[in-house]
This record gives sequence, C-alpha cells and structure tokens, in this order.
Amino acid sequence: MNFIKRFFSGMKQEDSVSEPVEVVKPITEQKVKSTTSSTVATEPDAAEERFSDAPPVPRVVLHAPVVSESIFPAESEDILIKAQPSQTGDQCMFTVNQVLMKGASWYFDNFESAAESSLAESLFSLDDVETVLVCESTVTVTRKDKTLIDWTALAKEVGAAIRGAIEEGSYLIAEKIISSIPSEDVIREGIQKVIDEEVNPGVAGHGGQINLLAVKGNTVTIQMGGGCQGCSAADLTLKQGIHTSFRKAVPQVGAIFDETDHTAGLNPYFS
Amino acid sequence: MPRVLKFKVNIETGKQGPNETVNFCFNNHKMPFENVIGSNESDAIFEGSFDVNSFAHSLTLVGPEKGKWDVEKVTVDYECEGEEPYVVKWGAVTLDETTEMNLWQDPPAPMFDV
Repeated sequence: MNFIKRFFSGMKQEDSVSEPVEVVKPITEQKVKSTTSSTVATEPDAAEERFSDAPPVPRVVLHAPVVSESIFPAESEDILIKAQPSQTGDQCMFTVNQVLMKGASWYFDNFESAAESSLAESLFSLDDVETVLVCESTVTVTRKDKTLIDWTALAKEVGAAIRGAIEEGSYLIAEKIISSIPSEDVIREGIQKVIDEEVNPGVAGHGGQINLLAVKGNTVTIQMGGGCQGCSAADLTLKQGIHTSFRKAVPQVGAIFDETDHTAGLNPYFS
Repeated sequence: MPRVLKFKVNIETGKQGPNETVNFCFNNHKMPFENVIGSNESDAIFEGSFDVNSFAHSLTLVGPEKGKWDVEKVTVDYECEGEEPYVVKWGAVTLDETTEMNLWQDPPAPMFDV
C-alpha cells in the first residue's frame, strides 16, 4: 500500500509541476479554445500530444550476468557439502567444495546404471534415492517417495554417502562412462534433430517452441519461448516431456538446463 | 513471489554515464529512487533505495532517456517479508533509451550443511 500511495501521489506531483491548469481541462474545451484564440492555435496542441494514440515503445529487458560468490570458505581442506532442496521439494541439489566430474555431467536413472561409479553406487544404496545427476561439483537427487518434501533426514544420509565415496578414493564416475561421452557436435546434432522433429511439433499446438542455446561437454542448455514462456506447466513439460525425449534420442546427455526467464518477455504465455 | 519491503541499489558507472535521474520500474511502474547518494555520471557511484512494501513481479533499472549508460556493476540488497535479507550482484551491461536491466531475483532457496 505504501508503494501504491507513493506511486499515485508521485503522479499528482509530477502533473502539477509540468502542466498546472491545462491537464484538468477536458479535451473538448481545449479544442474550442484553440479555434477561438489565435495565440493558442499557432502553438502545438499540448492536449493532443499528451493523449496521443501511440503507445509507449516497450523497452527491451537486458539480463546482465549474475556475479556469484563461493558458498564455501576459501582453501578449506575438509569435504564441505551444502544441500539445497528445490522449491517444489521433488529434488535436492548437493554442492561439494570439489569437482566430482570435470567438464561433463551424467544422469543415473537406476542402480544398474551406477555400476563401477562409486559415487552413484553409494547413493543408490540409500532406500529413498530414485535418480542421481552428477554435474561438475554438484549432485542432484530425486527421491522415490514423492509425498515427502522435508529433505533434512535424507539429505544428511546423501551427504554422508557423497563424503564416504570421495574419501574412499576410487572412481567416482566409471571410466567406461567418461569414455563413452561423444563430442559436443554429435550431441548438438542429435538434440537439434529431436527438437525439430519431436519436441517443437509437440509444443507448437500450445504456441510454444524450444531453442537449443548451448552444448558444453554433454550438458545441454535450452530456452523455452512463445507459449511455453511463463506457462505454469513449463516445468512439467521440461521434466516429463523434453528430458525424456532428449535422453531417449541421445542417451549420453547429462544435465539439461532451462535458461528461460518465465517472468519476462514481450509475449509470455498467450498474453 | 515475495512481498518486497525495501530494496537498496549500488550502481557503479563505467566510462559513459548520462548523469540524469535514475529511475526503476517496479511491476511496470516507473519511479525515481529515494535516499539518493552520488550520481550515474562517468566513473561515479550511485546509491538509492525505496520502501516498496508490495509483491514483486518485476524490477528493472530504466535506461537513460538519451545516450548510453555503461553500467559496470550493480549490487542490490533486498528485504522481503518472511525471508532473510539477501544480496545479488550483477555484472556489466550497457543501457540506452530502448533498454532496461533486470534487477529482480527471487530469494535463494534455503541451503544447509550436510
């Protein structure tokens, strides 16, 4: 309310300073005046300028890079892990103060896929862990029991498992996995093909479109546009539709990031 | 979407600054900053704040009416209802009469040591 009061009071002040009398007069009166007074007729019609039909030109919103600072104290020799559950509580990201998989990422969708990867094997030994995504120095875990959103207990178990795997010193990620990751060009080509032939034709019915922004290692970054931007079902589309299609078409794809700003844009979701 | 009680900005201008009133847009309402210290002329530092007390959909820094504005760095301190105060820092961007810069970021998700 404070903001609204100031906004309207601010408008009144501005008006009263720039055009103290003419603003409150109806347009019709000013037009009559302009036809009867020679002095006014020779000047630009202030009222017509003020009430021009032309809408203000919308400005483009630029997104400068966010300067991130380390969440860990510098030069700590201990293994430090921070847990950050998602807003919806369906997954939790664990950030470690050391690199777990350099320059790449890997998605483990079941216990069998974790063979020879000590980190994933440790995590799948926990009862409630459903999937594991390792990306650089983070591990993102989803749980089997979707009714629980409090991660406190499971997060401590996951933290202990990650710490144990690191201290063990064996391969966190299996060598066969790292050697199987294809080049960025191969991944880009495969993902672009599935976007063009499967994903975009599917979301086009809702006025949406998916763009491939970047491929780094085997990590893919996309942007949702058109009707997908700002849509309340965008998260569902991303996780159940796009992720599934991408991993089916290119099984070596690791993390999939969505860089869409769902609060911005000139045409978010059918507006 | 939290209720923003107050936010404070610190803007470092680079080589080119318009030296004009600095405005922001909160939920598409254009307003000047309050408690202003400094300016946005070249190589200067501008500080301003505003007691918003309203829910945030968008918050932007409005580009100059004329010329270009080399923004080197922006630091925003947010105070939101029911949230710990938090700070977000943005890097360089150049604004002009057709652009504005996003200054909104949701409060960070809670994080804890394990």
